[in-house]
Amino acid sequence: MKIRSAGLLTAAIALSSLLAACGGGSTPTSTSSQAGGGTLVIDTAFQLKTADPGRMFEPTGLMVDESIYDTLLTFKGSDVTKPVPALAESYTAAPDGKTFTFKLRTGATFSDGSPVTAADVVFSLNRVKNLKGNPSFLMDGLTVAAPDPGTVVITSEKANAAVPFILPNPALGILNSAVAKQHGATDAEGADKSDTAESFLNSQSLGSGPYTLSSFSTTTQVVLTANEKYWGTKPAYSKVVVRNVQANVQRLNVLKGESQIAVDLSPDQAKGLDQLQVVNGASPNVFFLFTNNNPDISKTSSNAKFQEAVRYGIDYKGLLDLAGQGAVQAPGIVPSIFLGALADTDAVVRDVARAKAALAASGVQNPTVKLSYPSDIQVNGLNFGDLAARVQANLKEVGITVNLAPASVQTALDTYRGGKEELGLWEWGPDYPDPSDYLNFLPGQLVGLRAGWAKGTDAALEKLGEQAASTIDDQQRAALYKQIQQSMNESGPIMPLIQPAQILVGAKSLKNLQSNALWQVNVRELG
Amino acid sequence: MSSANPTAAASGAGQRARSGRGLLRFLARRLAAAVLLCAGITLVAFVLTQLVPGDPATANLGQRAIGDPAAVAAFRAKYGLDRPVPLQYLTYLGNLLQGNLGMSQQSHRAVAQDLAEYVPATIELALFAIVLSLLVGVALGVVAAVNRDRWPDQVLRVVSLGGVSMPTFWVALVAFYLLFFKFGLLPGGGRLDPGMNAPPHLTGFYTVDAALGGQWDVWWSAVRHLVLPSLVLAVYTVGMLMRFTRASVLEILGNDYVRAARAKGLPERVVIMRHVLRPAMVAIITVAGVAFGSLLSGAVLVENIFSWPGLGQYAYHSAVNLDLPAIMGVSVVVAAVYIVMNLLVDLLYGVIDPRIRLT
Repeated sequence: MKIRSAGLLTAAIALSSLLAACGGGSTPTSTSSQAGGGTLVIDTAFQLKTADPGRMFEPTGLMVDESIYDTLLTFKGSDVTKPVPALAESYTAAPDGKTFTFKLRTGATFSDGSPVTAADVVFSLNRVKNLKGNPSFLMDGLTVAAPDPGTVVITSEKANAAVPFILPNPALGILNSAVAKQHGATDAEGADKSDTAESFLNSQSLGSGPYTLSSFSTTTQVVLTANEKYWGTKPAYSKVVVRNVQANVQRLNVLKGESQIAVDLSPDQAKGLDQLQVVNGASPNVFFLFTNNNPDISKTSSNAKFQEAVRYGIDYKGLLDLAGQGAVQAPGIVPSIFLGALADTDAVVRDVARAKAALAASGVQNPTVKLSYPSDIQVNGLNFGDLAARVQANLKEVGITVNLAPASVQTALDTYRGGKEELGLWEWGPDYPDPSDYLNFLPGQLVGLRAGWAKGTDAALEKLGEQAASTIDDQQRAALYKQIQQSMNESGPIMPLIQPAQILVGAKSLKNLQSNALWQVNVRELG
Repeated sequence: MSSANPTAAASGAGQRARSGRGLLRFLARRLAAAVLLCAGITLVAFVLTQLVPGDPATANLGQRAIGDPAAVAAFRAKYGLDRPVPLQYLTYLGNLLQGNLGMSQQSHRAVAQDLAEYVPATIELALFAIVLSLLVGVALGVVAAVNRDRWPDQVLRVVSLGGVSMPTFWVALVAFYLLFFKFGLLPGGGRLDPGMNAPPHLTGFYTVDAALGGQWDVWWSAVRHLVLPSLVLAVYTVGMLMRFTRASVLEILGNDYVRAARAKGLPERVVIMRHVLRPAMVAIITVAGVAFGSLLSGAVLVENIFSWPGLGQYAYHSAVNLDLPAIMGVSVVVAAVYIVMNLLVDLLYGVIDPRIRLT
């Protein structure tokens, strides 16, 4: 009898809860998206480890920290070609390209009301450097000094025109140093071992931006609250909720009004959403193929004529079918939205006859090569597996047999970064929106080495790279980067393929929704 | 493994004392076995993580940081990856004995802190699903059995076959589309409505914490958000429990004592509830215990679709990020849950059927 009684009681409670819950479902679950005090809900598939700017370098972290922390300079909307003042109201660059002097804005305050000083800037930037974390490379070769409370001087070991483009990165957000130190932060050498502020910075924020951190989870959601003491234009929302939601559910949520912005929809998923606004920005990510130039890895892939056959055997325009509307062929390795990008007319065009001739001249009979790629990730809705299969089919027409070697991203990364892949299909997202980031693709550099392109292999190209790195004038830089890419399109193991579209889908009521190459959504500018 | 011996029910103080000592011995043996089992599981999990072709530094450092020897060295030193592999394992075991599960490489927090957040979310969901499954699955299983080979049985056999055959992720997507998007009957993903603050952390069960804190709007939101994912999870377990209940009840219906009960003129309802269902519960509880364990460890896809911040999502993210301490932590927790569930099931045998005594 006890079992029956308990069972009936439990059944009654469970069923009544169920019915009541279903019955109450007609109440809208979405929160207000109206400007001036409502809640803004952003859905994105989290790539997030921390909110501590000194340790953060993941896409979702960049979006979150950009809303919380001010930087010396920033970018407006989607324009990443021109750094504009933020905490620094102005700056000057010395003619040698090594010294940058920033005049701090007066009146800027942290969320506790204390003023932002040059000492805070020095502390924050040195901390990033000494934490030896993911964003530390941003400070490579840079030293920071504060000659007076309103001035910051950044000195580069070498001429470095990219400094103003590096500083807007939210990883270089300025912390309230006094409070940070109280909670275990340090900017001293050895900070990688002695700094203990991360858990605090994942519970509270110490920035001067328009929002403050209310709650933080790497798997669920991040909640931001309007900073009552923000020194600039007051933010439009009292609360911003950034939720971890997979792409196909994002679409339903934004259509239903449960969220106001969906970040990760593919071009196909964004089709037919007339009741919403679809921002079709250019993604800064570039998909590329490489044929390993190291003969120890492969005699075939390192053969220059074989590389030419691959270069002219790929149907670049055909690949765009996979990437959907808004995607473009990458004419060079520098994305179209950055200084020094090549024009569309400079792109390599498929020429099967030339590819076959090059293959015949290579002396390699019936080549069979292995193409490695990460099979479990998508970038801007584009699947590596689909792209690899299309490359395989293209090269088959030329006479090259490609065996696909899919692997989980972590396994594939290991072989890619070790320079062990015969052919590799990867993408590069910019660390900062300046063409100098793409010098990594040259012989002897980070990506070049992964493609087996050793230092000294192409002396002329390497010299051009050195020249570009040390040139200050933007016009000259642009010309040099174009020259570098034209040379890479002529020969070499790296072939840029596609620059996909970066799509944001938002409620029509949102004002000024723009896609930013670094932090995806311009949260602080939304109205 | 339990050694459950059916013995005749006996009375008397001596008998009860012997029975009590037997239970204690049983619990002590099971506890010792559990510790050894957990240690074994940590070893298996550790060896497997070492065999995976991938490097945690590569998985966790960015495209530029991985090229910086100082950043790589700092990462390896921070997570103890610069020490010999056997030493890493022994250090882990030593820390585990002190309740320290290490630091997660993906969340940069203590694994124990992560688990304290994610495990209750999954347990709350799994409990909701298993209660629902037991109520519906057992009731329908009994109906099918007492109507053997008649139309209700035929229909319910098709239903249960459908329940166990349909892929859970597909059911999840369809349910999400229909019940949330199309008809708006239930809320979508997450544990609470967007923007709603979680109740103060006491147990980690939002329904309990919200009720204890008197936050009834939060409680209501938590209950509503539980319904859809638990319904989806229940589809499979209802099908399974229905089949097992039907088989057990049919087996017991053929016993002499059931015929005797009916011959005494007891109402059919009493015969079924008291003389058939109760003994059948032994098999049903066994299945339910296993089902609950699998709900805890196997709800990855459902948690993903419903943005449910539970153990499944944590395990998935740990695996793809080669987050070794988190993978180990999840393995230990799942093992512990299975061990506890098996123990509870064994203890419940005695409660349900007094003829069964644990020795």
